[in-house]
Order: sequence, then C-alpha cells, then structure tokens
Amino acid sequence: MKTARTQLTDLIHGGAYDQPYAHVLELQRAAADELFQLQRPRIGILDQRARDAGIERIGSLRDIVPLLFSHTTYKSYPQSFVDKGQWDKMLRWLGTLMPIPIDHIDVSSVRNVDDWVNCLRDAGVRLYASSGTSGRCSFVPVTASDRDKMQQIVASYTAWPNTPKADRSRRLYQLGAGAGPARQIDNVQMLAASFAKPGDLHYLSDEPLSIAFVNRHAAMRRAIAEGTATPDSIAAYERESADRAERMQRALDAIAEDIYQHRAEPLLLTGPPVQHWYLLQRLRAKGMKDGTLNPNTVVSTGGGLKGAAVPDDATDQVMRFYTGVYSHLGYGMSELSSPFPRCEAGRYHCPPWIVILLLDRNGETLLNAASGIVEGRAAFLDLLYEGRWGGLISGDKLRIDFSARCECGRPGPSILDGITRYTDVGDDKITCADTIDAYIRGAVEA
Amino acid sequence: MSAQLDPSTLQTPIAVPHFIQGQLLTQTSTTYRPAHGVPFSTPALDLGKLVWSRQQPCPALHTPLNEIYDVLVATGDLLKRDSHGYLAQALDSMALASPLPRPILDFCYGNLWRMFERTKLEFQVDKEVGGADVIDGWREIMRPDGRAAYVRAFAPRLIHVVAGNTPEVAAMSIVMGALSKGVHLLKLPSNDLYTATAILRTMAAVAPGHPVVQSFSTAYWRGGDEKIESALFRPQYFDKVVAWGGEATIRSVGRYIGPGLELVGFDPKTSISMVGREAFAQQVDLHEVAAAAAHDVTLYNQSACVCSRFIFIEADDAQADRFCAELARELNVDRDIATAIGPKTPADLREQIDVLKLMTPDYRVWGGYDGQGVVIRSHEPVDFHPDGKVINVVITPSLAAAVCHANVATQTVGVYPSSRKKELRDALAGAGVQRIVELGATMRGCRGLPHDGFYPLHRLMRWVKEED
Repeated sequence: MKTARTQLTDLIHGGAYDQPYAHVLELQRAAADELFQLQRPRIGILDQRARDAGIERIGSLRDIVPLLFSHTTYKSYPQSFVDKGQWDKMLRWLGTLMPIPIDHIDVSSVRNVDDWVNCLRDAGVRLYASSGTSGRCSFVPVTASDRDKMQQIVASYTAWPNTPKADRSRRLYQLGAGAGPARQIDNVQMLAASFAKPGDLHYLSDEPLSIAFVNRHAAMRRAIAEGTATPDSIAAYERESADRAERMQRALDAIAEDIYQHRAEPLLLTGPPVQHWYLLQRLRAKGMKDGTLNPNTVVSTGGGLKGAAVPDDATDQVMRFYTGVYSHLGYGMSELSSPFPRCEAGRYHCPPWIVILLLDRNGETLLNAASGIVEGRAAFLDLLYEGRWGGLISGDKLRIDFSARCECGRPGPSILDGITRYTDVGDDKITCADTIDAYIRGAVEA
Repeated sequence: MSAQLDPSTLQTPIAVPHFIQGQLLTQTSTTYRPAHGVPFSTPALDLGKLVWSRQQPCPALHTPLNEIYDVLVATGDLLKRDSHGYLAQALDSMALASPLPRPILDFCYGNLWRMFERTKLEFQVDKEVGGADVIDGWREIMRPDGRAAYVRAFAPRLIHVVAGNTPEVAAMSIVMGALSKGVHLLKLPSNDLYTATAILRTMAAVAPGHPVVQSFSTAYWRGGDEKIESALFRPQYFDKVVAWGGEATIRSVGRYIGPGLELVGFDPKTSISMVGREAFAQQVDLHEVAAAAAHDVTLYNQSACVCSRFIFIEADDAQADRFCAELARELNVDRDIATAIGPKTPADLREQIDVLKLMTPDYRVWGGYDGQGVVIRSHEPVDFHPDGKVINVVITPSLAAAVCHANVATQTVGVYPSSRKKELRDALAGAGVQRIVELGATMRGCRGLPHDGFYPLHRLMRWVKEED
C-alpha cells in the first residue's frame, strides 16, 4: 500500500490536474502528517517551531499554519560567518534547516562563498541562492533526489495543458546566465535536459552567476553604512554597475541577432520577463511580426515585471508575439517544486503535491473555504521535498476560487489572475525610528 | 459568488476632525482605509484655507512672548484637568488605532501638560536664542566697525510633517510653533490623527480667538499625495518643511525643496547602549544595571528613535549571560511608558531568532515571542533591526571598540557607568552620534538643548537683520 504522500508525488509523471479534489484533499491531509512525523525529529528548526506552537500531529490544514517559514529563514545566517570565512559555521546553520546530516562535509579548503556552494554541490546538496532587497543571499537547499523529481515535473508539465514533446529537438537561448546556483538557472538546465538539442545551448552570459559578486553589493552597502567606503570606491562601484548593464544590452543585441537568424527552427527561449521584453523590441526592429516563430518553439519565463521600466501591457505584448508556440505561463516562486500552470480559462491550478493554504493578511488564520472566491495571503506546504521542510508563507495576495470545478472543467480550486503583493507602502505612519538603511542611496539602494 | 472582504473594509470609519486657523471642522467627507489599522474619515480639504497669505503678517507677530507663555501655561493647566474632555475623546480614538497599548497612551496623555510648564518654555527660549527679546523685537548688536546691527528671530511659516509614534511629537511641535510666533500647518500622520487637534482645541478653549490659536492648522492627507503637496509645498506660502523622521516622508518632502523652501529634518534614528565592565564589580547590583538598560530599550515598547536596540557590553560570555538573564526579566515589567507584555515579536524577526537559538554557543536567546521581550547575546551585532522589545547584547572587548557600530543614524547612546561617557563622547560624536547619556536616563532630556544635531527652535526661526 502506497503512502498518501507517494500517491500524490507519483502524479509528477502525469494526470496531476484531473484528480477528484475531495480525494486529493484527503491525501494531502494524511501526507502532511506523514511528512511532519518524518521530518520533525530530523529538522532542528521545524522541531523548535512545532514545540513552540504545541503541534504534535497535523490533523487538519490549520495545524500547518504555525509551521510555515518565509523566505527569511533561508537567509537567517549571520553575515559575519560569510565575511569572516567561517564556513563550518555556515554549514552548521544550513544543518538546522535540513533533515540529513551535513556536518561531515569538509569545508577546510573553501575560500569564498562560491567555493562553499560548490563544495556542498559536490557533496550532493544543491543550493539555490537568490538575492533579496538588501543584497543578501538566501540559500535554499535541494537534494539530488528532490531535484530528480523536479526534473520530472519539468518534463511532464512544461507549457501545460498544451505540452510539447520532450524530444530534445530545440535550439536553446537563455536570456541570462547559463550557470550558477539559482533556481531559475537550474530550471534552464532542466528544460534543456528535456527539450533542447544537446550542445545547442546559447546563453546571454557564459560567466556563471557568482554569489561572491552578489555579496559585493551587500558589502558595499555595509561599507557605506559604516562610513568606511570612500567616494572613489562608491563612484567606481556605480560606474561598474552601469557598465555591466551596458554589456548585458550588447549581449542581448547579439543573441537577438542569432535568434533572428534561426527563427525558422524550433527554439527554446528562457529568461526573466523583462529580458523577453527587451528581446521583443530587438526582433521587432528586425521586422519580425507577432506569431511568426516556429510552432514547435517553447517559451518559458517566470517572475514579474515589478519595478522594470516597461509599458503596462508589456506582458501582453510579449505573449502576443509568442502566439502559436508552446508558452509556459505559470504562477510560482523559486521555493516551490513546481509552478502552478495556467489553464485555458486563464486560471492557475495547484499541483496535488503542493497543499495550498490561503491565510489572512497577517498570515495567522486559515481562510480556505468549501466554495466561493476568497482573497488572502498565499502559503504552501510542498509535499515533494525531502531535503527540507516545504512549509512556506509568501507575501503574495491571491484570490482563489474554491468552487468544485474551474471554468476550464477541471476539478479543484483555481487561482485567479491578477496576483499582487502585500506591502505596507502607503500606510502613512510616520515614525522617528528608522535605521541606517534610510541613509544609503545610489546603485546600492535596497 | 462574491469575494470575501478584508475585515477593515467593513468597519465604520472613525471621524478625524481638522483644526483650521482656530476653527474646528468635524463634518467628514473623505474616507481612508489604511492597509494596517482602522479606517477613518476626515473633512474635505480646502487648500486655500491651509495657507496664510504673505500679504498679511503672521497673526501672533506682535503678541509679546510673555503673553504666549501665559497662553501655553494655561493650555497646560487645562490639558492637566481636561475638563472639556478633549484629550479623553482623542485618547479613545487613539486607543482604537494606535499600536501603543492603552496604559502607555494614558501615561503620555496624562503628562502632556508638563511640556507647557513656564520654566521649560523660558529655558528653551533662553538657551536656544538667548532670550525673548530677539523674538519679540530687534536685538541690537555692535559690529567690529562700531556700527550697529539689529537681529530678529522672525516668525516663520512652517509645515510640520509630524511623526505619530509618540504623542509628544505633536505637543512639541505646537509648543515650539507657538514660541516662534509663526504660522503652522501640521500634516497629521495616520498613526496619530488626534493629539495635535486635541491640544489646539484645548488652547482655543483657554484663549478663544487668540492670535496664537489662529496660527495653527491640522489636517490629514495621504503623505506623498502630489495633488496636495505640490500645491502647498511652495515658498510663496511656507519657509520650511519640518519633517519628523520616516525615510519615505523625508524623501517625499525632498522633491519640493528648492530656493526659498528649506527642509528641517528630524531624521529617522536608532539608539544603542554601552555597558562597561564596571557593571560586574562586586559592589554593583547587576540587576540595577539591567533595569536601567531595560528602561532605555522598552520606551514606547521600543517604537521610538530613542529606544536602544543594541547593547555593547564589556564582558566574558558567562558575565554577559548573567546580564542577559536579568535584562530579559526586566523587559517583562510594566513601566510608565512600557508594558510587561508588549507587541508580539514580528514574524520575520522571529524566524531569524529561531535559527539563532539553534546556534549556541555563538548565540543565546532569552525571553519569548508573545510580548515579554527577547534578548539575544552574540559576539557580532545581528543583521536585522531589533524591534518590538527585542534587544541584541553584543560582547565587545572594549566600549571604544564598539564605537564603530555607531553611525550617522545613531541618535542616543546610553552609557554605564556615567563616568565612561567622557572617554567615548568625542569618538561617538565623530561617528555621527548626537546625544550621549547615562544608561537609563534617555527620557531625562529637555528642550533648550540640541536635538538631532541642532538647536530646533533656533533653526525654525527666520533670522533677519537690519544694518546701520
């Protein structure tokens, strides 16, 4: 007899979005407790939270709410560990978030943070890093077996419901770095493994994404805050940032020309949305019209256009350009094992191995309903992960239709388009208390 | 099928009156629904009524300062008795919307009158501008060439962007505004929509129609609203914008600063403490040192610029841990302007502290997340901003070595023992600090001394001269 969790995670091979919801929900409740009982004794941070909240078992979805972690947990290491090269302490920190012992990993030859990341990867623990607003990186661990399952999800559900053949026939263009410890970049590798012609991979930048480089940004901020940065070094840093942006634009010119030359072939285009927008400008300038790419082309993008200097309808324009190809339009976040793909009715569907929890603004009360549309803060328990606890609370404001069926006809709740974020901007509370962050400006601004 | 609404959209808005050049406006027409907090409604804004024409002298220009002292002292007396109930009414509204618990608001409101005492008013005028004569008239000064000059601290036209995290800011703005004889538009913050108006109503009750009363207006609009601020923030109407903190506020106000319109920034700040090894001497009661430190940490439940967030301590781990244990107990005590149970620890801090708990012996944590307060002991300052009764005790080899953690955003440094202040003050001031006090004495400040690096009343005035 398969466990509830296995029954759900087996759906990574197919059929995920056609399961009767009542059954899925029942399996999710059981699987959540299976996973909790498995992981609690093994993950220090989860055990501590469970003890504080007095949670011994997950009997209902409500019991998961106190066991959610935000992005913050994955960047909660003291920066001084990195600055002072205390890699053994960084290992200890990461160990509090993981169920498998990692303290045996030899970090004695690690010289910088990139070495540390590589050292862990060689030992079977992949880290996805992402830089937050402060320039400080989060590190989300993914084990080899978790990654294998994520690879399967990419193969099964890319561009769902209209999925392309995983026949490795396409010329891949990544509108960003081709290597580095980031979820988006690893996703490119996973897409490549299923859909791209081996060896036919083209990256905007061949330089791997470097955490040490991202950390320089944070270090510069600190130096400014402490008053130790000289005006020359600040000016040099700002110039370097501008030069890098300029180099990226030139690289984009080159990659756009290459895409244009190969436009009749099946392509695989990946990258952040804003890069797709810049690419679109260049291809249009060369005379390309909407919907003229090879129909076997796959387009994958992720993330939002927040803060980018682009027109309001940039996403629509980009999607019109990609008419007639396989385009992957998901709602998701880098911490989750799978995006929530978009159906014909324009709604996002929740994979059965991810429990969706809609909470109030404060993230304390579960609002999941039996029917109707409810608005709230998105939280999840990703049942797929075994290398860390998959309980995640986000800052996203969602509207979920808890009706038995989506307008597309498939069972289960669906997320409506128009996802925004909870922010405190505009509250107009004025206070005399603030930090040095308010005194820092320029290229290093948060 | 209909969307469930956020509970805040269902509540009846609280009415926020405006006070316009001596007149109270209570008829509300505009409703605001803050993302966090209670919805409120305000009177419609008549922009023309929010400015005073430069064609007319400021109403109080010719009122002797002595008479203004009398009005302020009488206002203080009535604030103390509150026989009209204006303060009580404001307090009830505040209690619904303020993040501060009722006992703290009660204490603050109960003591507002103290800011209106004559000795304090006179001290401020004497110390900041050298006496009432230079506000009342033209002070003669003999120049090196033997010719005379006449200097006056002239009535300024000011917009005050008032901070709302403590009610005292509204009172201080009104007291200094009255002493300046100028005209004053107080832009209310959403976290204190009531105190300024209640004080002005009280002043209007003791001196109906008085020129000083006509010199004040209070109004709310959403901070940063270009339609309003672009019309008002002009040198044709105002000399200076006095902004009390908040990065967003100061950045927003900055857009309008140009020739003729100056920014007086009471910049957003943070504060720290320093505890010397003397705290562990045999004859010293460590508990008392911890209590003094806790006083400085917990003011307004750690929501003000003056509240300490980091304590740098000369100690070994065992000594520091003893201090931390005492401190944690002292965070959980009711004080005049702190409650034993304060706000819950913010979720993002809690997540970071949870991890530190697992990082012993590098870190140790005392206290709890339900408002009792949290103490974190470490050898490096934590990377987050301690808030909501969270304090980081950082072991340092010497207090001098900890000066590097002070910077231009550091307001107050509380030092134990007091005798160590002198060895640190030059270095601290050099790093950007503007106030050095004995540990536990952060609330013993008074007007008439520098604040945020300048003399506030002196800086609010327009300094003009006539030369022979």
